[in-house]
Amino acid sequence: MSRYVLKRLGLMVLTLFVIMTLCFFVIRLMPGSPFDDPENSPELETLLEEKHHLNESIPVQYYYFWRDIIADGYWGVSLKIEPNVPVWQVLANRIPVTLVLNLLSIVLAIPFGILAGALSARTAGRLPDRVIGILTVVCISVPSFVFASALQYQLGYKGAFDIIYNSTGTPAEQLRSLILPILALSFWPIATICRYLRGELLDNLNTDYMLLAKAKGLTPVQSLERHAMRNSMVPLVNVIVPLITGVLGGSLVVEKIFAVPGVGGIMTQAVSSRDLWLVMAVLVFYSVINLVTVFLMDIAYGLIDPRIRLAGRKGGAA
Amino acid sequence: MTEQKKNSKDLFVFAEGRRPAGGETPGRVRSFAGNVLARLKKDTAAAAAFWILIVLILMAVFAPDLSPYTYRQQMLAEDYVNMPPRIRGLTWIPLFNGHATLKDRQLSSLSDTAKYPEGCVIRTFNERTVRGVPVADAEIDYYLYKGAGEDVNFWFGTDALGRDIWTRAWRGTRISLLIAFAAVLLDILIGTAWGAVCGWYGGKTDLILMRICEVVRAIPNVVICTLMIMLMGNGVGTMILALACRNWVSTAQLVRAQFLRYREREYVLAAQVMGASDARIMVRHILPNAAGPIISRAVMAVPGVIFTEAFLSYIGLGIAAPEPSLGNLLAEAQGVIGLYPTQTLFPALIVSLMMIAFHLLAGGLRDALDTRTY
Repeated sequence: MSRYVLKRLGLMVLTLFVIMTLCFFVIRLMPGSPFDDPENSPELETLLEEKHHLNESIPVQYYYFWRDIIADGYWGVSLKIEPNVPVWQVLANRIPVTLVLNLLSIVLAIPFGILAGALSARTAGRLPDRVIGILTVVCISVPSFVFASALQYQLGYKGAFDIIYNSTGTPAEQLRSLILPILALSFWPIATICRYLRGELLDNLNTDYMLLAKAKGLTPVQSLERHAMRNSMVPLVNVIVPLITGVLGGSLVVEKIFAVPGVGGIMTQAVSSRDLWLVMAVLVFYSVINLVTVFLMDIAYGLIDPRIRLAGRKGGAA
Repeated sequence: MTEQKKNSKDLFVFAEGRRPAGGETPGRVRSFAGNVLARLKKDTAAAAAFWILIVLILMAVFAPDLSPYTYRQQMLAEDYVNMPPRIRGLTWIPLFNGHATLKDRQLSSLSDTAKYPEGCVIRTFNERTVRGVPVADAEIDYYLYKGAGEDVNFWFGTDALGRDIWTRAWRGTRISLLIAFAAVLLDILIGTAWGAVCGWYGGKTDLILMRICEVVRAIPNVVICTLMIMLMGNGVGTMILALACRNWVSTAQLVRAQFLRYREREYVLAAQVMGASDARIMVRHILPNAAGPIISRAVMAVPGVIFTEAFLSYIGLGIAAPEPSLGNLLAEAQGVIGLYPTQTLFPALIVSLMMIAFHLLAGGLRDALDTRTY
């Protein structure tokens, strides 16, 4: 198992290296200089570029880039948005907000998705299943920012909830003002989990061991939760990765709608003002979240399914 | 070799007694596509989704040019700013009657016909006194109030710059659909070629190409799209490339799996024996087997692309003003959602309807193409 974990970890680091290299070259080959401002005199521009090593050749800059990160853990400073503040310090207050928003949306979606999926499979073809089916299609299709606008208008402006993020309140108040954004983001994961689980459960309900469970006198609910559910939960790991990336994308907009001071807002600003190293940090943040999720799911799979973790040993494709 | 192939029909004769009696297959033979279409027609939801999409596509193609206004025409001189929607003949629907509510107006000023033309105040409500002055909210005929005649109708209203939202919404739909179709087409082309090479040649080629896929897959969509936009600036072409940039990996994996499944079949061996080239076997003999999954994946990919395009434009990285897209229309309307909710309503309805229809159609197609279910 440890061999498998190490292999996955190595692959993750390698991928991150590729992504960062790609990001570096795109960011440096992007036309225009971050200091290209009519208010800056040409001399100032040259001085600033010299200070940040932007006047060197690209390979030299690439060398500096890795040397700084590896030797000093220095990721550069923000050039435009908060000049001379280290990039991770700029993001330090924003990352927790984004993480809380995204993780809560997914964590809260899991039980509801499972409940809805189980109910739908139990009543397959009958009224509750049909109603859930329609709701699922709507929730999967309608973009999260449409839900966000609708919730903000219907609940926020009618006074039941905060219209935008309450950044000055107590932590409890802040969390309360996140209710609508979390709600808007969680419809899609709920529906996705529900649809997936329903399919898995329907496959499992027709197996012999379910017949045995019935024969030995278990009630339908008992046999569902003791036998069918367990086997259906394993493939659910499959949907978690796309769920997290999907919700992260949606949260960029939802953060904007509810004025949540997360990473999303600063990304657009950084890109449009060419705040090079801040863009790099934001992109690394999104990539790391993705990579860590994939890594954790691989590990979970390895724990669940011995075929996967043993595959590497025989020299087969892992 | 080529000559042999040309005449290959004459080289083969039926073995003794094996010729089908009468030489005709009994019953009606339906093509694969015909079969799929027949199944799709039976699926009410998918059929409805298909017709909704046809309507949406027709609207996207024709509505912007048939409209009396252009997408960037600002009617500031006439002061047609933030007009509520009005459709002649549908004014009995509250949404389309062209009325608006003005809040906190002095009661005395409401009867001033210089400011509020005759008959423009429909009703007053919420009457109260503020600092000794009687005020009220008033529902007014906004078109009459702005001095617009009977022939001026903004079906979806206008925005803060006095631009017709009907025209802009359908033009935005056109751009969203154009980007979605082009991106998915590109995705399918790259993915199919990539997957076919992987699946057919296998070995080292497969290993290296699939490793590249794994790396591309590990980069989040947001990151790839941002990088592409930074490199190429925002615009329709960039969006198409950016959106196809990662999606093709799933197509490649799907096509590869199909090729792995079919490449050992006897008919492939037969084709090889007869001297068919690799390319011919891949395109003529194996690819048709993969057609079903590829088609359903293509349709399935469309809503995802529409969503990504919309959110990128929404946060200001996608299509740039003044060109409308469903994303930036929603972003512009979001700021005034409390005052003018209809500006958000119509683009939101269009994008939602489009996504629902594509999902339903994709689901129906998947079932119709899956021969195991029949």
